[in-house]
Amino acid sequence: MDTLSALLHGFTVALTPYNLMWSAIGVTLGTAIGVLPGIGPALTVALLLPVTYNLDPTSAFIMFAGIFYGAMYGGSTTSILLNTPGESASIVTALDGHAMARKGRGAQALATAAIGSFVAGTIATVALTFVAPLMVRIALAFGPAEYFALMVLSLTTVTAVLGDSLPRGLASLFFGLALGLVGIDLQTGQARFSLGVPELLDGIDVVVVAVGLFAVGETLYNAARHRYEPEEMYDLKGSKWMSKEDWARSWKPWLRGTLIGFPIGALPAGGSEIPTFLSYLTEKRLSKHPEEFGHGAIEAVAGPEAANNASAAGVLAPLLSLGLPTSATAAIMLAAFQQYGLQPGPLLFENNSSLVWGLIASLYIGNVLLLVLNLPMAGVWVKLLAIPRPWLYAGILIFATMGAYTLNNNLVDLVILWVIGLIGFGMRVLDIPVAPCIVGLILGPMAEQQFRRALAISQGDLSVFVTHPISLGLLLTGLLLVVVPVLLRRRRAKYTTA
Amino acid sequence: MTTEKGLRLGEVAFGLAVLALGVFIAFETWTMPGVGAATTVGPRLFPGLVAAGLILVGLWLQLEAVTTGPVKADGIEIDWPSFSLVASGLLLQIVLLETLGWILAGTLLFVMTARAFGSRRHLTNALIGLALTTLTLVVFDLGLDLELPVGSLFEPLLDALQK
Repeated sequence: MDTLSALLHGFTVALTPYNLMWSAIGVTLGTAIGVLPGIGPALTVALLLPVTYNLDPTSAFIMFAGIFYGAMYGGSTTSILLNTPGESASIVTALDGHAMARKGRGAQALATAAIGSFVAGTIATVALTFVAPLMVRIALAFGPAEYFALMVLSLTTVTAVLGDSLPRGLASLFFGLALGLVGIDLQTGQARFSLGVPELLDGIDVVVVAVGLFAVGETLYNAARHRYEPEEMYDLKGSKWMSKEDWARSWKPWLRGTLIGFPIGALPAGGSEIPTFLSYLTEKRLSKHPEEFGHGAIEAVAGPEAANNASAAGVLAPLLSLGLPTSATAAIMLAAFQQYGLQPGPLLFENNSSLVWGLIASLYIGNVLLLVLNLPMAGVWVKLLAIPRPWLYAGILIFATMGAYTLNNNLVDLVILWVIGLIGFGMRVLDIPVAPCIVGLILGPMAEQQFRRALAISQGDLSVFVTHPISLGLLLTGLLLVVVPVLLRRRRAKYTTA
Repeated sequence: MTTEKGLRLGEVAFGLAVLALGVFIAFETWTMPGVGAATTVGPRLFPGLVAAGLILVGLWLQLEAVTTGPVKADGIEIDWPSFSLVASGLLLQIVLLETLGWILAGTLLFVMTARAFGSRRHLTNALIGLALTTLTLVVFDLGLDLELPVGSLFEPLLDALQK
């Protein structure tokens, strides 16, 4: 079949010693940075962007794939041993993973997370291999109206699904959309909201915003809170291996987690928060020991970790085939593509097939490298957790400011970084999700273009969005996703007061 | 120190900020010079929608702040001096970067941030910061061809050395 020969070609690209080296560097850097407390996969990718500036695109994206998977592995180590999940998808892992660490079973928790991630990552990458070309075929039938509807759907899901308050998610989303307005309007050349600053004509870089919200905002928050939140760190001790019982209790959750994670990740509904929660609830319901959940049940680490990794691979399907990011990390990856002048989508498969398939092949390779790297070297990564906090956060700021400055070599980006950092601090204090802001910033301008293109084709007739069946279906799904949770919440409130 | 009352005030302020941003964008869109009469949808429609969205959400947030109150019910303690130290470290770096250069401005940021996290060993911290910034400058400027500033103060010195 076509796909298989394309994949084989991808392997010949990814397995050259040169690219293999970048993949190995990627997974190592990704794990090392991802393991640091307070740094999730999105920030890891953003901080490591400058490293790839001088590579050719294929090697750069092979390295990115490694960084991406590596950061996921590293993040689970942090949430298990330190109980500081770097991103919302690791929150579930932290629940029982940290409880296991407290009981001295940290090594087993890390092992089931690593092997589960490997199993899930590999199966999900296989699924990605076959789903992405299918999505490309569907995408070819899409016009601007359908693309616009798809973007609206993914914006609403990212917003409606996160956090417990809809207006907070919406505020974050609209803030991102507002930031996306800045710069020259591509269709008319009209400068918008640049406030007379020439550097703003190119728009606000999504990397600066992500680094500002995640790195600067997080550091400010931790500086303001470290006196009140003592950390509990548990070192690895005792047997490093999983017992027979651990294996018996882990393998089914791995597979179920994969089954839950990949499809949800691959849908434009996106995100990895829902699959990890779903996997946790499923395992709890199916377990013979539901009473152990919350107190260190190995299933509760195995399942959600697998779901997390599977959905991470799933997110790549709409990203590569439709150019649609459905998580903060995917948004940064899209920015990376744009920096190389590449636009993910059907045309990318057509014109840069060795890049796309090299990237997909390197996901298989990265997974194997990570398993080899993580099982024996878990102890080394744990040492990274012990870096004194003053040096860790000071170092994070050094790299954050370096990343922002080297984007365009101007101080304006540093000023934006500072402002966004302060806003990120405020959002962290008030519990406002940041992912909608980042996805909104990158999807907003794309949605606007498709919207205007669709209306130009229909000569200003707004009904194109509802007369095209696919577009109508996508918009209705988006509407349901916003309305249903609100109604459910209202009903629940009624029951509790009655 | 922020107690429950402070947090509630924060929520109101956040809602107002969202509202203000919406009004600002609406005003800017309104006063934007009109071009592109040839296109059916001009550059104004989307900003208009975003402004409307921001204003509505800003009002909604006010409503929520008044009715349901903060999510973290018992409030949250904030160590403002440490916060300000980090924030001003970043500002100083922006101001000093192009004259003092990446190495010194970065080291200052490193020392100030470390102090905010409770470390008083300024000399050790300065040495670590110096090592880290020198290393990044060498790796990125020589190895990866990026341009972290050496600093206008030192450039004549470098030129003299090269001659």
